[in-house]
Parts: sequence; structure tokens; C-alpha cells
Amino acid sequence: MRVKLDPRTKLFMIFVVSVIVMMTATTPILWIIRIIMTFIPIILLITEKKYASALRFCILYIAALLLTFFFLSEESTGIFKALLTGYCAIIAQFLPAIITAWYVVRTTRIDEFMSAMQKMHMPDGITISLAVVMRFFPTIKEEYSHIKDAMRMRGIMLGGGNAAKMIEFRMIPLLFSCVNIGDELSAAAITRGLGGKVKRTSVVTLKLGAADYLLILVFILATAAFIVFKYII
Amino acid sequence: MKSDIIELKNISFKYKGSDNGLLNNVSLNIKRGETVLLCGASGSGKTTIIRLINGLIPHYYPGDLTGEVCVSGKIIKDTELYELAGTVGTVFQNPRSQFFSVDTDGEIVFGPENIGLDPAEIKKRGEDVVREMKLENLLGKSIFDLSGGEKQKIACASVSALLPEIILLDEPSSNLDWNAIEELRQSIIRWKDQGKTIVISEHRLWYLKDLTDRVLYMERGIIKYEWSGLEFSGFDSKKTYDLKLRPTEMEDSIIEKYRNRSNGIIDIKDDDAIVLKDFYFTYNHKPYFFIKKRVSEKDSDILSLNIPKLNLPRGSVIGIVGRNGTGKSTFLRCVCGLEKDCTGVIEADGNVYKGKQRLKLSYMVMQDVNHQLFTDSVESEVLLSMEDQDKEKCEGILKSLGIIEFKNKHPMALSGGQKQRVAIASAIAAKAKLLLFDEPTSGLDFLHMEKVAELLKELAASGKTVLVSTHDSELIDKCCDHVLCIENGKVGYFV
Repeated sequence: MRVKLDPRTKLFMIFVVSVIVMMTATTPILWIIRIIMTFIPIILLITEKKYASALRFCILYIAALLLTFFFLSEESTGIFKALLTGYCAIIAQFLPAIITAWYVVRTTRIDEFMSAMQKMHMPDGITISLAVVMRFFPTIKEEYSHIKDAMRMRGIMLGGGNAAKMIEFRMIPLLFSCVNIGDELSAAAITRGLGGKVKRTSVVTLKLGAADYLLILVFILATAAFIVFKYII
Repeated sequence: MKSDIIELKNISFKYKGSDNGLLNNVSLNIKRGETVLLCGASGSGKTTIIRLINGLIPHYYPGDLTGEVCVSGKIIKDTELYELAGTVGTVFQNPRSQFFSVDTDGEIVFGPENIGLDPAEIKKRGEDVVREMKLENLLGKSIFDLSGGEKQKIACASVSALLPEIILLDEPSSNLDWNAIEELRQSIIRWKDQGKTIVISEHRLWYLKDLTDRVLYMERGIIKYEWSGLEFSGFDSKKTYDLKLRPTEMEDSIIEKYRNRSNGIIDIKDDDAIVLKDFYFTYNHKPYFFIKKRVSEKDSDILSLNIPKLNLPRGSVIGIVGRNGTGKSTFLRCVCGLEKDCTGVIEADGNVYKGKQRLKLSYMVMQDVNHQLFTDSVESEVLLSMEDQDKEKCEGILKSLGIIEFKNKHPMALSGGQKQRVAIASAIAAKAKLLLFDEPTSGLDFLHMEKVAELLKELAASGKTVLVSTHDSELIDKCCDHVLCIENGKVGYFV
């Protein structure tokens, strides 16, 4: 079953999860709240049929948790355990935010996003800039992989051991092609009326559904509980 | 009421920072409902005219402009670009960089949304366009998953949805295969029937010859000749050759020759060939968690490339044809070893090349050459590919390609065709035995295409085996000894 969420709910999720990961969990009850909040986006990924990434995140997160609780302790010594502690702490701490962001980026269409921003009365300038950023990520990825291919073909992957050359070889073509694409892209967009004084409209009709209200409620309650248990009790 | 919808009066223009004028005192009137074709060599000013009409000059590309452009009663100089959006629509050359949305539905309605139409009206327009252009099966897709032809169709739809009176097309067929060009032709015919004014700048002429009312031949910033559509479609190959234009006739016959070919594979002895073995590859991997399983012959239902054995005659130019998205690029990528998961083995001159070694055997000139130019001068670009940095040899290569004068220029400062020749120069310098070209002539004019053809022949004569993936039938006719057709990842025919 696919749960169709409103982009506003998704933005709210990102915001809440980002706040939560910035606060450390110290007691078991805080950990439980945090784990629940991590598994919500994982379940959402499953409903989107992204099984492989859901399972990968799940395994990574559980492994980090198990190691933190049962293998590592304050008495842990040695370089290996030190590194492991670092990795596990980072994963346990920040993976929830990464999973949520991943879910949102993978499942939000640009027109939905722009429509949501308009409903929240964001200025068009901010909406369009953010939309362009969203549009550009996959392009950069695509361009970068072409450049990597070209470098492998010429056998200059390591730039002759020269770090500056290595960066130069990667960045120069990437910058040039991104600038070119950006240039052509904006030319194409303004010939179709982007940036006019007219208020943009949108065919996407957004409505908060039951799932949206439920999730927002769950996240508000979880955040409230987290803050209460951490700072008040 | 005036019947001229587009008026250019004594236009001269040069881009900011450039010394030579691109247009010199050009005047042009286009009537409502007319279809006009602009032809001529690269850099003759075709694109500049398109940009003058859609207002990108002077609003987006600044420069020294004299004269007056008037489109549909609006003086371009005094009109903001977004006000022109409902009047002039433009289909650009590169389908990759004209999409704002990442999905097809959003892209079609992008224009109407911008000009603030009522959502119900936008929906209706979107549905109309989809029905007219038969795009139902493309809806809801990511534009990154579309083939070049499909992208160009969506671009046409997106322009259509704004219901402009004037439609401009800037070399729209550059990246399209024969079938996609036919579909583009249908779009143009539809627009023509709707009474739209159409201006097309194009090198490939055969698909337009019976569509145009008027043909303008441009040379060095002026309109040198003007013919009626009828006169133009009667041009024989000698006449077009003298004008350095691509033929209006030939392409049709070549397409017919190769399109309806029955299966057949030429027999070449292993000794005279570069032998490809076990080339299996897929993009549609079964779900995996941490380790990708390599595919083999048994997975034939999911294979994107399925070539058990293929002998490529050494020292010949082999054209690779096939529809967009049917495996041509995949084939090239696998042959030169860019797809790590491809299991193929290449046997050449008694050596066996596997995995990464394939990268040394072959060199691919990519379609977008910007990706493979890394250094700050043409010379060092070529030297980078040489094992022993031999400056004399480098000059020889540059001379043979006619780019010696740019030796010290930055590769990115060159024109598209010149950049491509730089990439070819480094391919020669790399001493690869197998040279692969991905659409080397897309968007090239007749002269440059002919030069590329000559060059490919010379490369083959010097003992290299050249694989060239192309939709350009004139290129095939000019230089290919053999034609290999890839269909759904398999060898369709090889003659």
C-alpha cells in the first residue's frame, strides 16, 4: 500500500527529525522515542516499494544500535573500539535524519514541492531557487559520472599522484558543463515564462489527508515526549 | 492589419566580448502561418536569428544590437521575456538541458503554470496536448529515463501547451534517430495545420524539404539566398553539395536501405578480427542488498546487452545503428570497459583483454565532448593522452585535424566542432586500437560532417578499428565499411 503524503508533511518530518537528532538520547525512554521516529521513514520507504534501501538503512541502524549497547561501553579501549565507537555514534545519531531526507527527496516531485511552497506563502524567488537545486542534483550526478568515465578512459583517475591536478581534472569539466546546462536551462525556462510578474499557478492540488494528520500528530507527540523526558523529568 | 508576424529590420548584432559581428544588416519578414527554414554552415547566424525572435537576444544574451525586431506587434527590445511566453515557443537543440521539471507531467504544464493560467484550463490544455501528440505512455516518467527522441517529444508538447502563435526550432533533430525524426516531422505538420508560424534552423534537411514555404540560406551573418520551398525540394545532390548543405534526398534512400534489412551477419575469420566474446550486461538488476550478481546468458529476459560473440573486421569503419535507447550506447560503454559489471572479453592480435584492460585497448569520443576535455590548452590536452609526450607528433595530429591554430587556446573556448576535434586528437594520441565514437556528427553541418567522415576513414586506414554509433545516414554512406544494427541489446544485422 502506498501512503501518499503531502510535501508539507514531509518538510515537517525533516524539520522535526533534524531537531531530534541534535539532542542526545540519554535514557532508555529517549532511545525508544528516537528509534520509533527512525522506523517511521523506514516503513514509509517500504510502502514506496523501496525495499532494498529500506533494508539497508534498517540493517545499518540496528547494527549501530546493537554495537553501541552490547559491544561498546565506557570501558572500551583500543584504537579499533575507538573508531567503532565514533562510527556507531555518528550512525545512531544522524541516520534518522539521513533516512528521512532520502525518503523525501526520492518521493517528492518538483511540481508538488513548488505547489506546497506556494501554499505556505513562500516568495516565488525562494521556491524557484529551491526547485532549481532539486532539479540540479540529478544533473550534477549524471554529469559527474560522465566525467569519471572520461577520466577512467584516459587513465588519469589519480592525476599522476598530483592532488591538485586530480581536483582540477574533475572540477573543470564539471563546472563547465554545469554552467552550460544551467545557462541553457534558464534560457529554456524563461522563454516559457518563468520569472514573470504574474502569480504562478499550479495544477497540483494538495490536501492534507488522514495519513498526514496522523503523522504530524505522531511527530508532535514524540517531540513533546522527548523534550519532556529529557529536560523536565 | 499587417500580415507579417515577424519583422527584422536592418539587424546587426555581435555578442558581448566577441569581435566579429554575427549578423550584418539582416532584414527579414515572415508572414503569419509561414514555415521558414534557415540553413547554412555552423556559425552563419542561424541560431542568432532564432534568439532574436524569442527575445533571448538582447534580454538574456547581451551584445551590440542595432535595428529593430518586431514580433506579433511587440517590439522585442521593449518587451519583457515572460510577456513573450504565450506568443513565441522555442524547442532547443539539446533535450537534456531544456527541462525544468524532473517528471514529464510537470514539464508539459510548466509553461502554462508560469503565466498564471487557471488550473482547470491548464489541465485541459495538458490533456489536449497529450492526446494530440499521443504521449499517454510517457506520462509519469522521470525525464532522466527518457530517450533523446522521447525528450524532444516532451519538449514539443511543453511548447505546444502554451499555445504560441510562433514556434521556433533550433536544430531540433541533432540527437534524434530516424524514427524520432519522423515523429518530430509529424509535430511540425500538426503545427502547420494549426496555422502556426514556424521557423526552423537545421542542418539535416531531408525531413523538412516538403514542409517549408521558404528557405533562407545564411552565410557569414547575411541571408545570401532565398528560395521557395518548391524550388528547394527540387535541389539535386550536386546543388546541395555546391552549397555545402546536407542533401535533401539521399538520407531517405539510405534509411530505407538499412531500416528494412533482414537478419544477416557477415562472416569474418577470427584472425582478421577483433573478437568480442560474452558481452552480457543489464541495467535492470534484480534487487540486491550489498553485492551485485553478474549476469550471464541465462538471464536473457533482463539483459540490456546480449552478444555471445561478434567479430569486428580490423581496420574498418563500422557504423552502429539502431533506435534511441536500444542499446547502442550500452554496447559502446561495455566494449570500452566503462561498465565494470560487463563480463565481456576482447581478443585482438593474439592478446586477451578483460575487465579494466579493455580501457587500454579502446578509446571513446563521447557525444558531449565537454566531459573529456580536462586541461587548459589544446596542446596539453593531446599531450596528456600520450605516453611519451612528443610535441612534434602532437603538432602533426593537430595539423591533420585542422586545429593547429588553436594549439594554445583553452579547449573550452572553442566551438563545438573544434572541441570534438580536440577529443579526436587525444584519441589518436592515446594509440588505442579500437576507437569508439558516440554520435560524432550530431549537430554538425555538412562540411564538418564530411571532415569527420574523412577522418574516420583515415583512422581506419592507419590500422585502427573504428566503431561509430550514429543516426547520421550521410555519415554512414560516406565512411562506413560495415553497418551493425543493435536491436534490444542484440545484434540485429551486421553487413
